[in-house]
Amino acid sequence: MGYAYEAPGTAAVLAEIIQQQVPEKGKQWIAGQLEAWQTKGTLQSFNIAFTAAPRFLGRDEISVPPAAREALLPRSVDGFTADRLFRTWWLLQLPVADQTTYVQAVENLFLAGEMYELTALYGALPFLAFPQAWKLRTAEGIRSNIGSVLEAIMVRNPYPAQYLDEPAWNQLVMKAFFTDKPVHLISGLDQRANPELARILRDFSRERRAAARPVPPMLWRLVGPFIDKDNFEDLERAWFSEVHAEREAAALACHLSTYAPARQLLETRAGMAAEIQQQQLTWDTVAARVNGL
Amino acid sequence: MCCNAQLTEKDLVPQSYDPAFLDAIKGMRFFDPHVHMTSRTTDDYQAMADAGVVAIIEPAFWLGQPRTGIDTFRDYFSSLIGWERFRSSQFGIKHYCTIGLNSKEANNEKLSEQVMEILPLFIYKEGVVGVGEIGFDDQTALEEKYYRAQLQLAKEAGLPVQIHTPHRDKKQGTTRSMDIAIEMGLDPGMVIVDHNNEETVKEVLDRGFWAAFTIYPFTKMGNERMVDIVKQYGTERIMVNSAADWGISDPLAVPKTAALMLERGISKEDIEMVTYRNAITAFAQSGQINVADFERPAEIDQSLKFNGSTVLRGGQQPRPNKQSTIIR
Repeated sequence: MGYAYEAPGTAAVLAEIIQQQVPEKGKQWIAGQLEAWQTKGTLQSFNIAFTAAPRFLGRDEISVPPAAREALLPRSVDGFTADRLFRTWWLLQLPVADQTTYVQAVENLFLAGEMYELTALYGALPFLAFPQAWKLRTAEGIRSNIGSVLEAIMVRNPYPAQYLDEPAWNQLVMKAFFTDKPVHLISGLDQRANPELARILRDFSRERRAAARPVPPMLWRLVGPFIDKDNFEDLERAWFSEVHAEREAAALACHLSTYAPARQLLETRAGMAAEIQQQQLTWDTVAARVNGL
Repeated sequence: MCCNAQLTEKDLVPQSYDPAFLDAIKGMRFFDPHVHMTSRTTDDYQAMADAGVVAIIEPAFWLGQPRTGIDTFRDYFSSLIGWERFRSSQFGIKHYCTIGLNSKEANNEKLSEQVMEILPLFIYKEGVVGVGEIGFDDQTALEEKYYRAQLQLAKEAGLPVQIHTPHRDKKQGTTRSMDIAIEMGLDPGMVIVDHNNEETVKEVLDRGFWAAFTIYPFTKMGNERMVDIVKQYGTERIMVNSAADWGISDPLAVPKTAALMLERGISKEDIEMVTYRNAITAFAQSGQINVADFERPAEIDQSLKFNGSTVLRGGQQPRPNKQSTIIR
């Protein structure tokens, strides 16, 4: 069994977006590539189309129609450029009859990938067949220092939350904080929260304070469910911070907690507690404030 | 690095003392078609961006000591289209490269055969604007063999060729490089002959090739000599580069040469030809250069945006104050 999801339907949705948004010349090129691939079936013709796509399709950002966005969930192609969308769809044209052949073909694309190809490949992880085969590759990608590659793995990508083991997942989240990625857009962020990650982030907040550097408010989202006597003081520091977003994050963290002192702390600021109840204060509003939106 | 959202516009302003030449060339744009950024620091990238360098070409070359296996070649080529491209984008500089087997290492036949096998994987990649830098070093039979093989590859791919001319027996080596290119059926207009000097330039131009000049202290051209060359030969098919690498070299050689040309009475239009336009014209024959990528710096490439930060435009890096003893 190759795909762990309904791949043909997804491929059809992607193909439709491409048909709607790629200019005629680009569509002709795609048709030619597809024909060559279907008639010749050589890996070389597959690789050439994958590599050459930007020359013929450009790098304009495509806009995803709401119905397509809905149909693709939990996968997302929001913010994809034309070449990247094509590359994602093109990967779905690989035969999945033999796992070894399939994995080798995709792995070779990773090995020789330039910056944009790597972004497309890592972003396509949730679309690939044999999902268990990409765990090490994903962990390797998280070690990258290329911003766009990291973002492709982290942002709106459901693969890591579903398949990474806990140490690799925790590295992904930490790396997102360290490289200023939009942590709130990591798929499965709350579902994969865990005590070890909460401990790492607590320690991280202490390092930041010791260095007189700001503490990313969003980290309290992952500490909140695990507030206890060991990290309550750290939370209090955020609660009394001069930075508004930190105070809001601390309040949201208290709201997530079942630890009695945290619940009591939240009651001391009735206004904030009410805003949380009415969903006027959420992690998304904190994220927007942090990013100056 | 963390929490860039705390940075202000002030953190992006250059804080180094501006040398006088920067004033003279303010507002000018430069394209350095030969520079080995792999060997350079982030300070160089910042200085180049401040001096108006908007795009560069990094030719594949020799790393100072010979490689012993194919994997290090593969990783090097990969880094030119991956990591280095990204690093450059962080300073608002568009990075292109040429890919090839350099002449020195062509003398290792066993390894060269393996390199030839993987070259096609790389020369068709986006942003690869030519096959280079290739040609002669000692002018051995093996160097000629792989030079010819790569000319053939470039011809098939429709890519320009960037030729490294030898230090020793230069004039003869330059002539021979051009003879072979013509014999192999290449259009001289697709071939950039690099590291020219007063002795080689005339023949290169007369035969219809592009003549590149490397401003590199002590061993190649000085920029005063470069001014005289432009005064004598004009600007057609002439371009200036730094070839800055791990040796004593200067990544600001192109903007500095422009400043000197200005000072010595060469028109801005002519300077633009030899420090910007000609290199683009020559290498854009690859179909891989879109000037909009660097002529509209505010929109360099939105898909490369570093993160959600609104302060770091186009993925710019924050600047530490280099004059201060204190490091924060």
